[in-house]
Amino acid sequence: MTVLAGIGFTTPWLLLGLLGLPILWLLLRAIPPAPKREVFPGVTLLLGLQDDETVSDRTPWWLLLLRLLAVAAIIVGLAGPVLNPSGDKGGDGPLLIVLDATWAGATRWKARMGLMDAQLAKAGHNGRAVAVLRLSVPGNLVFQSADVWRGRLAGLEPEAWQPSGEQINSVLAALEAVEGDFDSFWHGDGLEYDRREELLTALEARGDVTVFQGVGAVLGLTPAFIADGAIELRAVRSVAGPAREVTILAQGRDPAGIARVLASVPARFKAGEVQATTTLSLPAELRARITGFEIQGQKSAGALSLADDGLRRREVAMIAGRDDREGLELLSPLHYLNQALVPSADLLEGAIPDLIPANPDVIVLADVANLSGTEETALIEWVETGGMLLRFAGPRMAASDLSRADEHPLMPVRLRAGGRSVGGAMSWGEPKELAPFTEGSPFYGLSVPDDVRVTSQVVAQPDPTLANRVIAALSDGTPLVTRKSLGLGQIVLFHVTANAEWSNLPLSGLFVEMLERLAVSSSAKPPAAADLEGTTWRPLEVLNGFGDLIDGATLPGVAGPDLAEAPAGPDLRPGIYDSGDRVLARNVLGIDARLVSANWPAGTSVQGLSVAREVLLGGWLLGLALALLTLDVVASLALTGRLGTRRVANVLTGVIVCGLAVMGTERVQAQQDTRHAVAATSELVLAHVLTGNQQVDDIARAGLQGLSDTLFFRTSIEPSTPMGVDLERDELAFFPMLYWPITPDQPVPSAEAYARLNTYLRSGGLILFDTRDSHIASFGTASPNGRMLQKLAASLDIPSLEPLPNDHVLTRTFYLLQDFPGRHNSRDVWVEAAPPDAEQAEGMPFRNLNDGVTPVVIGGNDWAGAWATDRDGRPLLPVGRGFAGERQREIAYRFGVNLVMHVLTGNYKSDQVHVPALLDRLGQ
Amino acid sequence: MNTGRASGPSLRERSEAEASRLPPLLAKAEHLAGTVLMGEHGRRRAGMGDDFWQYRPVQIGDSKRLIDHRRSARGDMQYVREREWQIAQSVMLWVDQGASMRFASQASLPSKIDRARLLALAIAILLVRGGERVGLTGTSLPPRRGNTQILRLADAFAHDTPDEYAPPEHRAMTPHSRALFLSDFLGNLDEVKLALTKAADRGVRGVLLQVLDPEEEQFSYRGRTIFESVGGGLAHETLKARDLRDKYLDRLAKRRDELTQLTRATGWQLGLHHTGDSAQSALLWLYRALDGGVR
Repeated sequence: MTVLAGIGFTTPWLLLGLLGLPILWLLLRAIPPAPKREVFPGVTLLLGLQDDETVSDRTPWWLLLLRLLAVAAIIVGLAGPVLNPSGDKGGDGPLLIVLDATWAGATRWKARMGLMDAQLAKAGHNGRAVAVLRLSVPGNLVFQSADVWRGRLAGLEPEAWQPSGEQINSVLAALEAVEGDFDSFWHGDGLEYDRREELLTALEARGDVTVFQGVGAVLGLTPAFIADGAIELRAVRSVAGPAREVTILAQGRDPAGIARVLASVPARFKAGEVQATTTLSLPAELRARITGFEIQGQKSAGALSLADDGLRRREVAMIAGRDDREGLELLSPLHYLNQALVPSADLLEGAIPDLIPANPDVIVLADVANLSGTEETALIEWVETGGMLLRFAGPRMAASDLSRADEHPLMPVRLRAGGRSVGGAMSWGEPKELAPFTEGSPFYGLSVPDDVRVTSQVVAQPDPTLANRVIAALSDGTPLVTRKSLGLGQIVLFHVTANAEWSNLPLSGLFVEMLERLAVSSSAKPPAAADLEGTTWRPLEVLNGFGDLIDGATLPGVAGPDLAEAPAGPDLRPGIYDSGDRVLARNVLGIDARLVSANWPAGTSVQGLSVAREVLLGGWLLGLALALLTLDVVASLALTGRLGTRRVANVLTGVIVCGLAVMGTERVQAQQDTRHAVAATSELVLAHVLTGNQQVDDIARAGLQGLSDTLFFRTSIEPSTPMGVDLERDELAFFPMLYWPITPDQPVPSAEAYARLNTYLRSGGLILFDTRDSHIASFGTASPNGRMLQKLAASLDIPSLEPLPNDHVLTRTFYLLQDFPGRHNSRDVWVEAAPPDAEQAEGMPFRNLNDGVTPVVIGGNDWAGAWATDRDGRPLLPVGRGFAGERQREIAYRFGVNLVMHVLTGNYKSDQVHVPALLDRLGQ
Repeated sequence: MNTGRASGPSLRERSEAEASRLPPLLAKAEHLAGTVLMGEHGRRRAGMGDDFWQYRPVQIGDSKRLIDHRRSARGDMQYVREREWQIAQSVMLWVDQGASMRFASQASLPSKIDRARLLALAIAILLVRGGERVGLTGTSLPPRRGNTQILRLADAFAHDTPDEYAPPEHRAMTPHSRALFLSDFLGNLDEVKLALTKAADRGVRGVLLQVLDPEEEQFSYRGRTIFESVGGGLAHETLKARDLRDKYLDRLAKRRDELTQLTRATGWQLGLHHTGDSAQSALLWLYRALDGGVR
């Protein structure tokens, strides 16, 4: 490539062609413009006139210059000019491209892919074999042609975790498996991780390593938690740079379920600090709808913090049976529950009928034995729709007959009378301690403190179902907590009181943990590994590196402690997990995470992401030449006086049409339906049913066109161009009237089409059936068309018919008519029958007939044939002989006008029936 | 469809081709005439409100629909309402169908022949509705009344003549009738003179309407140009068309003077219409020019 003044040329010898330009100048200058021919009827007046001057114009210099510039642009363009020709050859031999491919690089992933594309292009140009390795998801090294990798670029995505030791190990193994030396391009995301130096050393041993890493800090967001009633948010960055403000958005769903930004709050990094904290205070209703927080402008999983139960405060309604003992707060059955739940739940108190409409998550009944019938029904209904009823025993329950003989629907077990006391002054034995929780219990994994003792309890009757319902038991095996499900919800019974009367369980930390496990409350901070001991969590949705949630239903479950503490990786993807009623979010960053930027040892070549691309100028120059030549055409036309606005418009239209034709082909199909609907509804349109017989359809269309023209000219109805209607496909509701010519061979519509036709008829549409054969067959006789009509109309919802009576409103909607001819003049025209009780009023020329429009008009007069006109407005088909039938054609038009008027105005003209009554009322 | 089958496809095709040459003339002409009817002349139209003449008893052969029930109800006799019998005037039309009329300088303008036919047909509709008889000069279509005549006129206007500049048809003009000639009058003036003097001899008065394209009045051509007539029979070449403009306009004005002299001598009227102007104004002018003598 030859470089001239910063621009390289691929074929510089072509530039010699520029020497030929002066010769072209002389040639062009010598040729005068050609004469043009004009048609001009006034030439008789010109004959014999002489020109004053006989010298013709020469081509002007500026036009010559234009043409020479165009030719020069073509020559230079073909010589292949390149802007920013890259000097370096780009090396040879195999090339390994290593990508961190973590969430930290996701925000600038597009720029990175652009850079990688350029590198691959260059490698392909130099014929280098390339392998691509993602450290977050390592695979084997496969050296392939660069073009193959370019095609797979779009499929490369960052992952939501950092490479861990396990992955580095497999990378090192993959490197071992490859023989020979290769150069490496390492696309770092800018964050430090374990054993990076080890990998760098391994790569440097095989060839040169160049690192490409973006400048600027990586931003992250740690999980949100609630402190003092407000949401605490903490943003971190990898480089302590100057002061910077970021906006944190709270994403969630509005009441309609549409994802939107619920709130936004700024967080400010002070200069030299790597973290910024802020608080966000939201109403509980709004807070419960938050699905996650993200840093505005960042598109990475690390800058996203998913919300879980920790942010969602449950509503707990508490009802105690003993509210008569005022003042004894520590003895209140609800006191310890209050203390346990206040930090993490919203508490409601009141009566059951008032509480159930508030739809709390949990209702606590502490020592409530008797419920009224309506309360019980309401509670059962509420539990069955997913509520959780938490009951505590107590003296009242022990003394009552609740769930004694038969299991009460709101109790998990039957109870023995009276309960029992152990370890009291009047009883033998020691107070009982708790047995360790068994596997399968929701409390499995919680450690039982030694000092918890139970002195009294209610005792369950041994039933066949009891074993399944016990979720916690005392050391002697008697049930302490039992549970049963009812509908979508569940009922849990603590066999002790909620206060410290019967046991010291409510005083222990275990009580709070048990409530958490039952999803009665949720902890404010992300749980620790110990809290989740023994649980298994199911991934609902997991994050990819960009922070998009993808369905996690196909992924295996995760053990609770792992979810809390193990580093994220392919086996533990950040995302939303659930277990029973609890939902936990595993975020990319831990609650006290810090971001450490990667430090490359001195001597490593580190470059940024920006790239100066080679720009091929050839296309632009050829385009310029084309533009100049177009300009030359316009200028030449202007010089010879042939430039009319019309011609320029034609040229421009041609250019634009060519351009649009390329762009807009796909959209045409999509717009067609809409356009059809708009055309049919923006103006009144008469329509005919397409029969499939081309000749009949054409006549029907021409007939409706003729009728439309007549209506337009004579009446205030101004229809647009008529349309053909395909009964199977098109919407009928747009058309006030359908003309249906009958042919013996037309297809019978499908059941759906009939359904729509019936809807059309019932909603006020009118169909004009035309058998077109009344010159050979009177109505009802078995002509082929008549038989076809019977077949077609059999499935239609047509009322009883009668021959058009003389006082029908059709005879006077616009013209006064007694005949309804088309090309044939038969009196057999049938319409909906008048009701049998229609009577002729005294002194009126017509009866008081039914309201509404007759849904069908059936005849055989070939009306469309009489109406049909060609584009010049001349009738297509003769009526009668010569011009003699013009009167009949005129009456046919009048029938058409009357019919359309009838469709559009209904029985307006029949209202004259009431004229005598109106006049009477007016006193005349 | 029956005729199509009976007369064979070639006739059908030819008539289609003929019809396509004529834009929707009939509908346009009806529409144009309709706009005039809405105005000052609306009440002169014969129709349902026709002048009453007399009531006469029903005779054998009268259709029952003709019975005037309002009059008959007053007595035992049944009456028929008769209308005034009006003597109609004949109006003869001649539209130049020559090649020179098939010219339009821009696609947005109608050709001169289209405009001339439109005006002729529209005035014919107006006259027929006014009760006059309308026909063509010459023997092809003598004056008759009724809507059918409009259809025949429309048919007659669908045919071009091959002549470069068609001479006015002056045969078979009904004496003391009225006439309307529409042309660009760019051909031989002697023919026009002959036609007008012959008409004047027979007592026929009328109107000449010169229909011109705006380009023929402006002559905005430039550069080296060869001018050709529409038929291609005549040609004139110039190196600088712009220089010819003044001379051409001179000659055009002179020709109009001659026409004015001619009409003045024979008692006709001369009108000028450009295809760039609205057809309605020309129709109004025509209607008044003819109307003045009719009633």
